[in-house]
Amino acid sequence: MTDHGHDHDRTVKPMVDEITDFEVLEIALRELCIEKGIFTAEEHRRFTEFAEQIGPTPAAHLVAKAWLDPEFKKLALAEPMTASKEVGVDWMEPTGFGTPSDFTAFQILANTPTVHNVIVCALCSCYPRPILGNSPEWYRTPNYRRRLVRWPRQVLAEFGLYLPDEISVHVQDSNQKHRFMVMPLRPEGTQDWTEAQLVEIITRDCLIGVALPKAGVTTNVITDTRPAVHPGTAG
Amino acid sequence: MSTAAERAAQLDLVARLKSAYPELPDAPTPDLLDHERITAYLKPVHDVGGEPDAPMKYEDKQYELWEHMTYVICEVLAWRGIWLSEERRRIGNVDVGRAQYLGLPYYGRWLLAVARVLVEKHHIGLTELSERMAEVKARYGGGLAGKQLDATPKSQGDGSQVKRNEHHKRAVGKGDPQVYAGQAGQPKFKVGDAVVVRELPVIFYTRTPEYVRGTKGEIAAVAYESPAAEDETWDRPATPEWFYVVRFNMSELWYGYTGTTDDVVQTEIPEHWLQAAP
Repeated sequence: MTDHGHDHDRTVKPMVDEITDFEVLEIALRELCIEKGIFTAEEHRRFTEFAEQIGPTPAAHLVAKAWLDPEFKKLALAEPMTASKEVGVDWMEPTGFGTPSDFTAFQILANTPTVHNVIVCALCSCYPRPILGNSPEWYRTPNYRRRLVRWPRQVLAEFGLYLPDEISVHVQDSNQKHRFMVMPLRPEGTQDWTEAQLVEIITRDCLIGVALPKAGVTTNVITDTRPAVHPGTAG
Repeated sequence: MSTAAERAAQLDLVARLKSAYPELPDAPTPDLLDHERITAYLKPVHDVGGEPDAPMKYEDKQYELWEHMTYVICEVLAWRGIWLSEERRRIGNVDVGRAQYLGLPYYGRWLLAVARVLVEKHHIGLTELSERMAEVKARYGGGLAGKQLDATPKSQGDGSQVKRNEHHKRAVGKGDPQVYAGQAGQPKFKVGDAVVVRELPVIFYTRTPEYVRGTKGEIAAVAYESPAAEDETWDRPATPEWFYVVRFNMSELWYGYTGTTDDVVQTEIPEHWLQAAP
């Protein structure tokens, strides 16, 4: 959007910026649903607000706490939804039975010196949204979903993660009602770090299992983001 | 209004969209199809695990408002008892067919599923929807020009007569799958048991991936009780069964697997798809 309530620079190419087919359909459906009482505008607003505040920060805190406190780690692995509450995530919110698409069966997969876990949903894009936020675009691609369950080491290598043969790969295809998240091992060089410091290096990609936490690395592997410009220019 | 040339151009575009075996004519006679190809055509299209593909550049894309609003409307419809998540997953990921599945954006399919369920369950008439779409499009006829995209319902319905499912009430305070706990009796398998995934005929829907059917695995966890996806997805009374996380050794599962002999893939499978390994 470029309207700041004043004339645009005439030298700038005028933006066509037409409403897209999916925008039309979404607005039409939402209006009809509200008019028919299928849901109320207030319910839609409440869920929108809930969905806007989810993200990977609670998951990073959960792992950092587990690294610092062996008792909490035991709780996180045995009762992950109870442990989630300690980082501010109640899996039953906001409906009283959870976010419907994510269900309420959560499990944390702990890496060991000889096992590396990585998650995928080969059928759609099942992902632990309440504690990790929305999945990245690449996680939903047929490409990642097709290949990870069959060529995991190659796919991980494309993320820059080269695993030695002594570490076996455990791919978790979360295709039903369970949602999974990876608990990586605490890396070297973080001995005296605080929870806040540790959280910085526990990126979303580490929690999916396509990266390992490393002192000094605080960003995801994939950061290139294409701007959404319409109309598209296929072909 | 469109020109004859524009109409022809759009038809040409559609004609190039292929989702059939190129060696076969359109609508082949039955003698031209073997069992493997029929199975391929009937395969639920969401089931892509293990299909060959070349590396591509993984990147993010700016999240668009309509994508977020689509996610929200899907969840609100489930919250308010219009559909189960399992209905959404089938309608948006499988019922769309191969051309739309591979051809449309992720949230485009979610959104079409919303339209589909509302029309199929008689909440909205299709003409009513088309007319509203035309109206919305006309509102932004001159381009967005800085206008905010916004829904402006003409009224607020009371909703008391809207037909809703049982699930959205009975799952409150319990969660899903916990709402089905205690209904499947004793689990048939325990952790460590060797099992074989059955090769049941598949039409329309299942969440048991093709890549593990007919193979041997080991029970890694006894997970929870729930109706199988292919039963739950039609929102009809269905008996819950036990689900298991099953572990498969990839060097046995995949022809020509190039990793180590200890690599495994795990996936969740309902009991009726499993039998004890011989």
